[in-house]
Amino acid sequence: MIGMEYAWLIPVLSFVAFPLILLLGKFFPGKGSSISIGAMGAGFILFLFVMADLLSNGEDFFSYKWFDVGGVELTWGFIIDPLSVSILGLVTFVALMVQIYSVSYMKDDPRFNWYFGIQAFFAGSMLTLVLADNFLLLYIAWELVGLCSYLLIGFWYERKPAVEAAKKAFITTRLADVALLVGILLLFKQVGSFSMSETFEQAELLMAGANSALSSGTTLIAALLIFVGAMGKSAQVPFHVWLPDAMEGPTPVSALIHAATMVAAGIYLVARTFVIFEAAPDSLLIVAIVGLLTTLMAASMALVMTDLKQILAYSTISHLGLMMLSLGSFGYTAAIFHLMTHGFSKALLFLAAGSVMHGIGRTDIRQMGGLIKVMPLTALAFGIGAVSLGGIPIFAGFWSKDEILLSVLDHRHPIFMILVLVAVFLSALYMARAFFVAFMGELSDENREGHEAPALMAIPMILLSILAVTFGLLALEWTDSFHGIGSFIFVHEGHGFEFNLILGLGSAILAASAFIIAWLIYVKGSVPISPFKRTFAPIISMAERKYYLDSMYQGFIDRVVLVFSALVAKFDRVFVNDVAVNGVAESVKRSAFTLRHHVTGLMYNYAFVMVVGAIALAAAWWAVAVKG
Amino acid sequence: MTWFLFILLSVMVIGGGLGVVTTRNVVHACLFLLFSLLAVAGLYVVLLAEFLAVVQIFIYGGAIIIVLLFAIMLTRSEEYPSISDNSQWPLAVVAGLALFSLLTATFVVNSRSFEVMHRVALTDLGRNLFTDWALPFEIASIVLLLALIGSIVIAKVERRR
Amino acid sequence: MLTLMHFQIVSAALFSVGLYGVLARRSAVLILMSIELMLNAVNLNLIAIASFTDPERFTGFIIAIFVITVGAAEVGLALAIVLRMFRNRGTVNIDEIELMKW
Repeated sequence: MIGMEYAWLIPVLSFVAFPLILLLGKFFPGKGSSISIGAMGAGFILFLFVMADLLSNGEDFFSYKWFDVGGVELTWGFIIDPLSVSILGLVTFVALMVQIYSVSYMKDDPRFNWYFGIQAFFAGSMLTLVLADNFLLLYIAWELVGLCSYLLIGFWYERKPAVEAAKKAFITTRLADVALLVGILLLFKQVGSFSMSETFEQAELLMAGANSALSSGTTLIAALLIFVGAMGKSAQVPFHVWLPDAMEGPTPVSALIHAATMVAAGIYLVARTFVIFEAAPDSLLIVAIVGLLTTLMAASMALVMTDLKQILAYSTISHLGLMMLSLGSFGYTAAIFHLMTHGFSKALLFLAAGSVMHGIGRTDIRQMGGLIKVMPLTALAFGIGAVSLGGIPIFAGFWSKDEILLSVLDHRHPIFMILVLVAVFLSALYMARAFFVAFMGELSDENREGHEAPALMAIPMILLSILAVTFGLLALEWTDSFHGIGSFIFVHEGHGFEFNLILGLGSAILAASAFIIAWLIYVKGSVPISPFKRTFAPIISMAERKYYLDSMYQGFIDRVVLVFSALVAKFDRVFVNDVAVNGVAESVKRSAFTLRHHVTGLMYNYAFVMVVGAIALAAAWWAVAVKG
Repeated sequence: MTWFLFILLSVMVIGGGLGVVTTRNVVHACLFLLFSLLAVAGLYVVLLAEFLAVVQIFIYGGAIIIVLLFAIMLTRSEEYPSISDNSQWPLAVVAGLALFSLLTATFVVNSRSFEVMHRVALTDLGRNLFTDWALPFEIASIVLLLALIGSIVIAKVERRR
Repeated sequence: MLTLMHFQIVSAALFSVGLYGVLARRSAVLILMSIELMLNAVNLNLIAIASFTDPERFTGFIIAIFVITVGAAEVGLALAIVLRMFRNRGTVNIDEIELMKW
C-alpha cells in the first residue's frame, strides 16, 4: 500500500516532468502536455493515497539529512498533516484541471511545450512549498514559485504589457520576500535550526510562559516579517498591485495563480507558522487589520472595473484579505477552508472567463451581454462560481465565509464585524454585476459568432463546478467520525460544526439582496444607477484609479529609484569601469610596454640579474647570521 | 717549501684564470685555461690528493681542452676577436669583486684552524667509490653515456633531402 | 702555517674570475671556458675541505670525481650545441641568440 512516505514523489514527478517536456516533449502525444498532465494526475492519485493514510494513521513528518554546516544540520523533509495534505489536494486538483483546460486553450501557441514545462515546474515548486518541513526548503520553493509566476505572467513576452506585468509581479513579491528571509533568519538565530517543528516547539513554550529559546520581542518581529512575505505573495495591500496586472499571462495561468499556487502560498505560510503568530498575539491584530483593509479596498475596486479578468483579480485580492482577516481572528480552520472553496470557485471563474475570451475574443464586460445564449455551459459555470463566491447558501463559498464571520464575531471588535459584512455585501454585488452584465441582457451582433468551449475546456469546468457546489458541505457534520472540517484542520483542538443561525441567515440575506439589487440594476434596469454614482463619486473615482497606489509606486520609481539607479550607473561607468577596471588594465599595459625593453633575450643579462639576486641573498643571510 | 709551492701555484691558477677571461684571442684563452687547470692539479698535489691531480690532468688537459680546441677549429675563428667581451663587463667586474669579497669574508670569519692534511689511500677511495657510492657511480655512467649520444645527435650533420 | 682558509680564498678568487667570464664574455666558447674555471674552483674547495677535515669518508673526493665527470659530459654536450648553433646561425655570438626577447 502506498502511504504517506511517498508524498515526496508528488512534487518530484512535476520537477522531472519539466526537463522531459522541454527536451523530449515533441516525441510524446500532445506535444509534451501529456507528460505534465500525467505527472499531475499521478500526483493527484498519490494525494488520495496520502490522504487515506493520514486519515487512518495520523500525521507524521519525514526528514532526511542534506548536509552539515558548522554544526547546523540542513535537512530535506516533508510534513504530512491535515494542513499540508489539504493544500496538496487543492494544488494537485486545480493544477490538473488547469492543465487539461490549457491543452485546448493553448493549442496553437508556438511555445506550447515551454508553457507546459513551466506549468509543471510551477506546480512542483508549490507542492514543495506545501510539503516542506523546514524554513530553508520552504524559502527555496517560495522563490521558485515567484520565478515560475514571473515566467508564466510574461509568457507572451512579445507583448510589452505582459513583460511589465511579469516584472511588476516579480519585483513586488521579491521585495516582500526579503522580509520573509530576514524573518526566517531571525528565528534561526534564536532557535538554531531551520526545522519548523523545533521552532514551533519553542514558540509553544513561549506561549505557555515557559523557558524558551525565543524571546517575545523577536517572535513578534519575526511574525510580522513572515507576514510581510505572505502579504507579497498573497497580494495584500499595499503589495496587491501585481495581481491585477498578472492577468496579462494566459488565462489558465491566472486560474492557477489565483486559485492554487502563488496567492495560496501566503495564506498557507501564515497558517503553517500560526503558532509563531499566536505566541505574539499583537501580530495577529495587524494581520486582521491588513486583511480587512485589503478586502474592503479590493472589493470596492472590483465593483468599478470593467475588464472581466480584472474584476476577478480584485475579487481574489478581496477574498485573500478575508482569509488573512480570518487568520488574524484565530479563524485558522475558516481561512484554510475558504482558501479551498475560493480556490475551486475562482479557478472555475477564470476558466469560464478564459472560455469567454476564447469564444468571443473580448474581455471588457461592457462589450458583452447575453452571452448565455451562445455559451450556456460557460455561463452556467461562471454563474456557479459567482454565487459560490458571492456567498449564496448551499454553494461552497457560503460555508467557509460563514466560518470566517463567526471567528471575526468571536474574537474581534464589532467594528470589524460591520466592515466585514460590508465587504461580504460588496463581494456578492460585484460578482453579480460581472455575471449579469456579461451573460444576461441583450446579445450584441458582433458576439453572435461566439462559440461554446470545446470538450477539453468544458470538462475541467464541469468538474470544478461540482466542487464549487458541493465542497462547502464538508463543513457539516456527516457521520459520527467526521465532525465537519473543523475536526480535521485545526491548530490546537478540533471543533465540530458551528452554525450561528442569525449570522448565517444575515449573511445569506445580504448576499441574496446584493444579487437582487444587481439584477434590478443591470438586467431589469428598473433601478437607475446614476444617483449612486453621483453620491459616491469621489470614492468611485478613487477606486477606478486604484486608490492612486499604482501611480504612487510609479512616481516613486521614476523620481527616486531611477534617479538613484542613474547615479549608481554613472558611478559604475566612471569609477568602476573607467578608473578601476580600465585604469588598472591601462597602467599594466603601459608599464608592460615600458618594461618589455628590459627583456633583452640576452643570456648574460639574465645571468647577471641572477647573480645579483644570489649575492643579495647571501649578503642578507650574512647580515642575519652575523647579527645572530 | 709548501708555502712557496702554494703561493706559486695560486698565482698560476688565478693568473691563468684572468688570462682566460681577458684575452681576445680564443686560442690563447684555451691555453690559459690549460695552464690554470694544470696549476689546480698542482694544488691537488699540495693537498696530498695525487690521484685527483692525475685525473685532473688526464681529463682536463687531455680531453676537455682538446674538445674545446676542436670546437674553436670547427667554428669561424676569425670572428672571435670581435666578439670577446660584451657591453656589461664593468657590471661583471663589480659582481665578481662583490662575490669574492663576500666569500672571502665568510671564509675568514668562519675559519677554523684545520691544519693537518690527510693523505688518502687510493685503495680506500676506490673501495668506497664502488661500495657506498655504487649507485651514484652507475648514474654518472648513464649521464656520460647520454651526454655522448646527445652530443652526437645534436652535432650530427643532417642529410639533405 | 698553511690552513684550509688559504685554499678557500684561492678557490673563491678562481670562482669569481670564472663568474666574471660568464657575465662579461660574448662568445659561447669563452663562456664555456669560464664555466670550467668555476667548476674547478668548486672542486678545489671540495678537495681542500676533504683533505683537511674528513680522513675517513672521502666524501669531498668522491663528489669532486663526480663533478669532473659531469663537467666533462657538460662540455661535450655544450660544444655540440655550439656546433649546431654555428651551423644553423653562422655564429657563436650569443648576442644574436635572442629569440626569447620581446
